[in-house]
Amino acid sequence: MGRMSFRGDAMKRTGMLALSGTLLLALTTGAHAAIEVFTCEPEWAALVEELGGGHVNTRSATTAQQDVHHIQARPSLIAGLRRADLLVCTGAGLEEGWLPVLQRRANNPLVQVGALGYLEVAEYVPLLDRPTRLDRSEGDIHPGGNPHVQLDPRNIGHIAKVVTERLAVIDPAHGDDYRTRFADFSRRWDEAIAQWQERARPLRGVAVVVHHNAWVYLEHWLGLEVVGTLEPKPGIPPSSSDLSRLLSQLEQRPASMVIRSAYQPARASEWLSQRTGMPAVLLPSTVGGTEAAQDLFGLFDDIIGRLLEAST
Amino acid sequence: MNLEGLDTSILGPAFVAGLLVLSTHVPLGRRVLARGIIFIDLAIAQIAGLGVIAAHAFGWEAGDWTVQATAFGAALGGALLLYWCERRWPEVQEAIIGTAFILAASAGILMLAGNPHAGEHLKDLMVGQILWVDYQQLPIIVGLYALVLILWFGLVRHGNHLFFYLLFAVTVTASVQLVGVYLVFASLIIPALAVRKAGTNGLWIAYGIGAAGYGLGLLLSAMLDMPAGAMIVLTLACIAILSPRFVMSA
Repeated sequence: MGRMSFRGDAMKRTGMLALSGTLLLALTTGAHAAIEVFTCEPEWAALVEELGGGHVNTRSATTAQQDVHHIQARPSLIAGLRRADLLVCTGAGLEEGWLPVLQRRANNPLVQVGALGYLEVAEYVPLLDRPTRLDRSEGDIHPGGNPHVQLDPRNIGHIAKVVTERLAVIDPAHGDDYRTRFADFSRRWDEAIAQWQERARPLRGVAVVVHHNAWVYLEHWLGLEVVGTLEPKPGIPPSSSDLSRLLSQLEQRPASMVIRSAYQPARASEWLSQRTGMPAVLLPSTVGGTEAAQDLFGLFDDIIGRLLEAST
Repeated sequence: MNLEGLDTSILGPAFVAGLLVLSTHVPLGRRVLARGIIFIDLAIAQIAGLGVIAAHAFGWEAGDWTVQATAFGAALGGALLLYWCERRWPEVQEAIIGTAFILAASAGILMLAGNPHAGEHLKDLMVGQILWVDYQQLPIIVGLYALVLILWFGLVRHGNHLFFYLLFAVTVTASVQLVGVYLVFASLIIPALAVRKAGTNGLWIAYGIGAAGYGLGLLLSAMLDMPAGAMIVLTLACIAILSPRFVMSA
């Protein structure tokens, strides 16, 4: 039911976008050679490249080695957003620490909130972990739900369609190309998902400890079972009593591995690994997080490969 | 090499903010250096941050101006306390200031254990980023610093240390939010250090070093695509190191 109404909203939105896209076309003269797409995270840059091919130039504000919650200001970020035709971000509060100031400094009307050139992809997929109770004492929670949506490839499949439609609205001259590329991507992506699910079957029910609550979509997709979190509340480092509670919890219910992403410090998970003997696993949380995760396909190949290796 | 960031509308507001910070920090920094209390800016900034965390811990919902009022109030309170310490134990003032810094930082961590949102406010207070500054933020800083400079050159320079501490607290609380604590420390200490042996024109030479450091740092940060604040600290230091011969012969 929730899913239905969410699709209805999306269709309404697409209709409105198409209308305003026609207006935009009437106002501008001629199409650009290539449209400039600025993304907040590397996974969306990778997706836009899959869908846009030679019609788009992409750049990402952050890399896989950075914590997207906090970034350092560089002149090229402002210059890049100033020239952008389309801004693609996760949304759901993930970039709220810096994106609003960056948008203000770039002062580009095409990519402000509410404009056609601003796309928050988390709006288009069902979010997990919506807090039932909004209380600041619960830590660094996102009121809209967990924003790390890229770690379920089925979400990327939905988002690819939304991105395609938006590209076609902004650059109608190449609309058919975008739709053709989407059809091709979508076919390859669905095949890859089927293969990943097949390979990952042994992972169903495997117990893991996570460093930060950033993996819910992956857990949900693969059926991993989270039996502990190093950060007791999102964004709060563990105290000694949190750690001892986690250790006694793990005696009751042992886990197979402890997971962290490329930008998180290794010390906490190495500490736990030494105490318990279970392996500490670094997983790429986005494109570029590891050598092997050079594109979206490589990202999930590598995640599943590393999980399988650690669980045997 | 990257030339797209070389745009006055991108670098301009940051450069103007830098010049404003220098206008007050260079003269105050010379006093700080002369008295050997170089960590006072870190201590004051940290105490301002502690005030904000404490306000959160007591359950005040932060609006913009209440956060500011708490930060300035805490900074002024900290300045009074440090002034009192200086009167009482002048021979160990620098040690006391250093201790005040780590105490305020540690108290903040303990209070934050249950409330990371206050931590975001603390971050906003301590690690302002110079490139995010836009012109709309500057008039209020111009007004505040004009007042500080009038009071400093008109009244305080030869007089009472109490007023020095209070003016310093107000100035630093405003500037850390604008450009961050690293640039505040660098703007206070590096130009003052470079001209410590210069005579009466020392102030103007220090202004020149500061302006050159900010200008070159912003240009390099644009061309090399590096974080601006850290790059400016580096260029300020390089220019200061290259300048002593120039200052001596002047």
